[in-house]
Amino acid sequence: MQNGKVIGGPLLVADSISLAFGGVKALSNISLEIREHEILAIIGPNGAGKTSMLNVINGFYHPQEGTITFKGETRRRMRPHHAAEQGIARTFQNVALFKGMSTLDNIMTGRLLKMKRSLWWQPIWWGPAEREEIEHREFVERIIDFLEIQAIRKTPVGRLPYGLQKRVELGRALAMEPDLLLLDEPMAGMNVEEKEDMCRFILDVNDEFGTTIALIEHDMGVVMDISDRVVVLDYGRKIGDGPPDEVRRDPEVIKAYLGEAH
Amino acid sequence: MGPFLEVLIGGLLTGVLYSLVALGFVLIFKASGVFNFAQGAMVLFAALSLVRFLEVMPLWAALLGSAALMVALAVVIERVVLRPLVNQEPIILFMSTLGITFFIDGFGQSLFGSDVYPLDVGIPKDPIFIAENTFEGGLLVDQVDLWAAVVAGLLVLVLALFFQRTRIGRALRAVADDHQAAQSVGIPLNQIWVIVWSVAGLVALVAGIMWGTKLGVQFSIALVALKALPVLILGGLTSVPGAIVGGLLIGAGEKLAEVYFGPIIGGGIENWFAYMLALAILLFRPQGLFGERIIERV
Repeated sequence: MQNGKVIGGPLLVADSISLAFGGVKALSNISLEIREHEILAIIGPNGAGKTSMLNVINGFYHPQEGTITFKGETRRRMRPHHAAEQGIARTFQNVALFKGMSTLDNIMTGRLLKMKRSLWWQPIWWGPAEREEIEHREFVERIIDFLEIQAIRKTPVGRLPYGLQKRVELGRALAMEPDLLLLDEPMAGMNVEEKEDMCRFILDVNDEFGTTIALIEHDMGVVMDISDRVVVLDYGRKIGDGPPDEVRRDPEVIKAYLGEAH
Repeated sequence: MGPFLEVLIGGLLTGVLYSLVALGFVLIFKASGVFNFAQGAMVLFAALSLVRFLEVMPLWAALLGSAALMVALAVVIERVVLRPLVNQEPIILFMSTLGITFFIDGFGQSLFGSDVYPLDVGIPKDPIFIAENTFEGGLLVDQVDLWAAVVAGLLVLVLALFFQRTRIGRALRAVADDHQAAQSVGIPLNQIWVIVWSVAGLVALVAGIMWGTKLGVQFSIALVALKALPVLILGGLTSVPGAIVGGLLIGAGEKLAEVYFGPIIGGGIENWFAYMLALAILLFRPQGLFGERIIERV
C-alpha cells in the first residue's frame, strides 16, 4: 500500500471449510487465507456466508469439514474463548455490547484475559491488584483517546447512538490487543461522516499496531479504498480473491454482486 | 416495647432465612441472566442428601459429600441444559429451569426418600432469652435463627468479596448481558456457568441446613423458594445486599403486620403480606430497592 507496509505470510489459513445447518449449506469448501498486517475485505450478497465464515474463524460455529490454521496451529474445533486467548478479537453485525455497563467498563472487559495473575489479590484491593487495575485502566484510556470517545466514558452504552456503539465495540476489541481483528460490517447504519471516522480508525489500527484485519462490508467505496485484498463469497462458495482492482473487473463477481452500470 | 422488639427480632431472623434462599437466585441471575426457578428444589436436594449422608458418616464427611454433590449437579446442568441453550432468549432458559425443578424434586426424593427427616448438625434448637435485664422477662429468640443470621452474614461477606471485587465480577456481568460478546472477549462461558451454579448449589446447601434444622427436611422446604420471590422483587434481582435487606424487610414486615394489623382484619396476614408488598414495589420501583435499572434505547 501507499505507506509501504509489508504484508507478511499467512496468519490464518482456512482450508476447505464446509458448514451446514441441517440441510442448508452455509459454506461449501471454502479456502482462504488472511495474511499478516493486511486488511482483507470479505464481500458478497446477503446470505453468502460472510458472517458464518467469521463465526467459524472465531469458534462460534464448528465446520463439518475443513481446518483452520492460526499462527501455525491447526485445529478443527475451537471454543470462542480459546480464539480470544490466541489473539482473535471481533465485533458483531448487530452490536453486541454489555448494555448496562458504561463505555469504560465495556472496554475494560476486553482486558479480562490480560488480568490473570492476581485474582486472589483483587478482593484485598491493595498492592498488586490495585497496580494491575491502574495499568489496564491506563491502556483503556489510551484506546478511548484514540477513538475520540472521551465524552461518553461514563455513559451506559445502551443510551448511545448506534454509530458510537459501534465505536465502543471496536474499542473493546482493540483492548484485547488482538493479532487478528474481525469486523462484521463496522460501518453499517452509519452516516458519511461516521463512516469516514471509522475508516480512519481501521487504517490507523492497521498502520500503527500492525494488526491484521478481516472485515465484512457492503459499502464498495469503503472496501475499494481501505482493503489490500478482497474475497468474494456467493451462496457459500468463494468466487473471487485478489486485489480490489482485479476483483472489481472480474465478470463473475460483477454478475453475482457488484452489478453493471446500465 | 418488649413485645414489639421480640416480634421485630423474630421477624428479622426469619427474614435472614428467606435471604439465604434469595441469595441463590440472585447469584445465578447476576451471572447468566437466568431466573433459576430450581433454587428451591436445590435447597431440598441439598438438605435431603445431607440428612441421608449423616446416617452413614460423620458430619464433616456428609457436608463434603453434599457439597460435592451440588457441584456435580452444577456440572451436569451446565452440560445437559445450559450448553445446548447458549445464546437463547432468557425466557427459554427460564423455562428450562422449570424442567430442572421437576427433575431435581423427583430425582432427589426417589434417591433419598420422601419422608420427613429431622436434621441435627449440632445447632442448638432451644429458644433462649436475651436482654433479660432490660425488659421484663427478656426477649425470646430462636437459636437456629441466630445461627442462620451469623452464617448468612459470613456468606454475604465472602460472596461480596468474590463477586464485586474480582475480575470475575466484571466477567459475570458481561455474561449476564450478552453471551456472544462475552465469549468474544475470551470469557469461558461454560466455566463461568459451572462456577456460578456450584456457588448457588452451596448456598442452597447452607439454606437447606438452616431450614432443615428448623422445619425438618421435607418436601415443603422446596416451597420456601416461593417466599424468596417477594424478597427478590423487593431487593432487586441483581443485588446481593438487596437479597439480604429484602429478606429482613419481608421477614420483619410480615411478623409485625400479623401481630399489629392481623387482629383488625381477622388474622392470617403473614401468608400474603410479602406478596402484597412485592406487588406494591413492582408498581413503583420495578427494579427493586437495589436492582440495576435496565436501560433500553427505543
